[in-house]
Amino acid sequence: MADVSQLQPTQTNTNLPPTLPPGARRSVIVEFIVRYGMLVAIALLMVFFSTQNERFLEINNLFLIARAASILTIVAIGVTLSVTVDGFDVSVGAVTGLSVLLSTSLMVIWNVDWGVAILITLGAGLIVGLINAFFIIKLRIPDLLATLGMLYLAQGFQLMLTQGEAVFRGMYNPWSPERVQTTGEITVAFKQIGQGFVGATGEFNGIPIPVILMLFIAISAHIFLQYTRWGRMFYAVGGNREAARLSGIPVNRVRMFAYMLSALLATIAGIVLASRIGTGAIRSGDPYLLDAVAATFFGFAVLGARRPNVFGTVIGALFVGILLNGLTQMDVQWFFQDFIKGFVLIASLAMSFFLVKRNQGG
Amino acid sequence: MHRSPPHAKVVRRQLNITPIVYRYQGNLLQSTLQAVGLGKRFPGVVALDDVTITLQPGHVLALVGANGAGKSTLIKILTGYYDHYDGTIEIDGRHVALHDPSAARRAGIQAVYQEVDTVLIPYLTVSENLLLGQYAHALVSWRALHAQAQAELARVGLQLDGHRRVEDLVLHEKQMLVIARAVSQDVRYLIFDEPTTSLSLHEVERLFDIIRTLKAQGVGIVYISHRLMEVAAIADDIMVLRNGRKVAHFPVADFDVGRISEAMLGTAITNVYPPKREQAPGEVILKVEHLTRARKLHGVSFSARQGEIVGVAGLVGAGKTELLRALFGADPVDHGKIYLDGKMVKITSPQRAVTHGIFLIPEERRAQGVLVDEKMRKNISLPFLGQFTWAFDLLHRRREDIHATATVEMLAVTPNDPEVEVRNLSGGNQQKVVIGKWLAGNARVMLFDEATQGIDVKAKQDVYRIVRDLAQKAAVIYASSDIDEVIGVADRIIVMHDGRIVAELDSAQFDRNLILEYATGSRTPMIQTVEDTKHAEKN
Repeated sequence: MADVSQLQPTQTNTNLPPTLPPGARRSVIVEFIVRYGMLVAIALLMVFFSTQNERFLEINNLFLIARAASILTIVAIGVTLSVTVDGFDVSVGAVTGLSVLLSTSLMVIWNVDWGVAILITLGAGLIVGLINAFFIIKLRIPDLLATLGMLYLAQGFQLMLTQGEAVFRGMYNPWSPERVQTTGEITVAFKQIGQGFVGATGEFNGIPIPVILMLFIAISAHIFLQYTRWGRMFYAVGGNREAARLSGIPVNRVRMFAYMLSALLATIAGIVLASRIGTGAIRSGDPYLLDAVAATFFGFAVLGARRPNVFGTVIGALFVGILLNGLTQMDVQWFFQDFIKGFVLIASLAMSFFLVKRNQGG
Repeated sequence: MHRSPPHAKVVRRQLNITPIVYRYQGNLLQSTLQAVGLGKRFPGVVALDDVTITLQPGHVLALVGANGAGKSTLIKILTGYYDHYDGTIEIDGRHVALHDPSAARRAGIQAVYQEVDTVLIPYLTVSENLLLGQYAHALVSWRALHAQAQAELARVGLQLDGHRRVEDLVLHEKQMLVIARAVSQDVRYLIFDEPTTSLSLHEVERLFDIIRTLKAQGVGIVYISHRLMEVAAIADDIMVLRNGRKVAHFPVADFDVGRISEAMLGTAITNVYPPKREQAPGEVILKVEHLTRARKLHGVSFSARQGEIVGVAGLVGAGKTELLRALFGADPVDHGKIYLDGKMVKITSPQRAVTHGIFLIPEERRAQGVLVDEKMRKNISLPFLGQFTWAFDLLHRRREDIHATATVEMLAVTPNDPEVEVRNLSGGNQQKVVIGKWLAGNARVMLFDEATQGIDVKAKQDVYRIVRDLAQKAAVIYASSDIDEVIGVADRIIVMHDGRIVAELDSAQFDRNLILEYATGSRTPMIQTVEDTKHAEKN
């Protein structure tokens, strides 16, 4: 069994025979596509959009695109963490939405200070992650189903918070028997998180704060997964849970941690989103789920990683972000966008899975 | 190519009769498969080089060779796994191209692999699995299906209820089912790849009966096994491969273990087992009292000393694996006490066991022992990652590299580059990685479960040496269903039968037949566990 795979060339194969058999030559091309296909696709996409819009490649525009993609990236990193431990968290979109409603309604309806509102919201996110972990680890509900259940719970809780109302300054308090206007507001400081810029000079508008936040999270998550003991344990649990357990790894603690981080990141994304739009829109987190899942699986194909990885996920999220932004700037009508997105998604996923599998099969 | 004539299929479909009639025709063709100059190269490696092989009807050809010798490559070519290979294959003088699995199947070539679970559908019944893909009509007549399945099973002399679900079968029954299915699909050449690794002696006998039946029906058989005694028992011809080349081919009448191992390895192996312990063993490290787990373990008590290898002998299913897993905290126990260096310890999880210095080399290497997609380095450092970190849990890469390199050197893993992914290693080298990952720890008790299963003689010799070295500091519990191996490795043997320890033997008492009699339950147990039958009744 192991015989053939044993003979597969390792990546640092320097002594190729002078005449390559036909099978080997094809696999060199395939290998290139697997490693760089995703990056080439992004480059092509950018070239295409820059021919459509001459301002596309301007630095300010690029940062706006990055800002638009940053919320998605944060959610996607959470999904990546859950996928790394061979789990799956589909509740992230709903948790993002819940976070939007919870943070804004705390400020507007209950007059909570914005800093405290953020802390409470983050705490709620961690609790959601804990509950997910409880469902999956203790009750042994399959991860997809458990987090699907949580998707509805979070969505329902989101609606119950304000009795289905969106949150905005001066709204009527849904919990008061009389029609009383609320007095709280979404403060300027809070709005800075999603709308602010840092380091503006002359023509340059500065770096958007969400982008800085996203980069901080991405770099931390990358270091966490690649260079720490816990990150190593994440991959071990995801690679073979039983082998990890029999190596003395606290498998359940690792999985619990992954679900908590996933929910926490979705909550952070929700806070950024709430600050960005400045109101508590209902179900505003929903679209992030599928985009984040797509970004995570795109990431498998980046540099031939063949496994969940933060760098790939960030690239994948940028890809989705650039695509969406480009389509909007080209005035593609909104009702076409989902279809185009689906088409590109399938094409890229086909590349990730079909080619990677083929290449592995030898 | 040799298929049933086209009209036969039409007739078969119209009448909805079982296709047995036509299949006998196929077998009676008495066709010889001749493969000349078979070769397969991968970039940088020649996996198989100019091998000529002849398969005759009613003839068993045994294929032996160390891991990496090219056996699997040869089998994969014959079963149409590769879309490209060198050499030509002819059946009865007619050229056939085996570039995809269906072509091989049409040519009547099939293989029965060790991992039968991958080719069966667990929640379907025996009959459904047996006739998978061969239903005559869109609508399934269950009665006809089961009747046909029974007929097929009877052909290979297999008694199995067609209504049972495959997930409820034991391993050898599944294997028999896979054989029956191959036979039901016009098989003319059947390849067995390590079929007996997980079978008990009795089951091996039954498998051989079936092979003999197939032989009598004119099926040409290729039999791959590391167990040379089995090869001697079943083969007509023996072919030895080494480094992708055919190095020997002779009739079974000339069978000689020394000659075969020499051909396999290129050098003579004088003594597989390392010398036994000379001094008396040290202090008692591990003491187990009345370890009990419902239906699996019944009042198991024994102890092990420092510097001592305690062999655990017993048939497949005797409770050896269950005992080791219980000691490692991998499965819960109902009651019983474990003492380590005189102190009672509660082992409730593998994590706990590891902190106490109890390490397990599990039965299923790939599924339980290693992370196949990771590099050797990451496997080796996994259990004791804490030793390779500095501030904030950050990994200290250089320290990890040094440890991995040293481990790989010490265990003579080939290739000796710790950056190679474990999937690219042969079975024997993978097993060394499994052992290697415990070397950073302070071992008190090492538990080995079928540690040499499916690895070649050279690697086995290395493993035995490592086991002996480890026993210097720790107590070693070495479980295996290969009685000769336990005798060769252990200083003292405990024999298990049906979840109980039935005998404990000193090296002076080591005797193959004696152990076998205890293991099969045909001799009255030397050790009675009266107290524990009480416990067992309570449960």
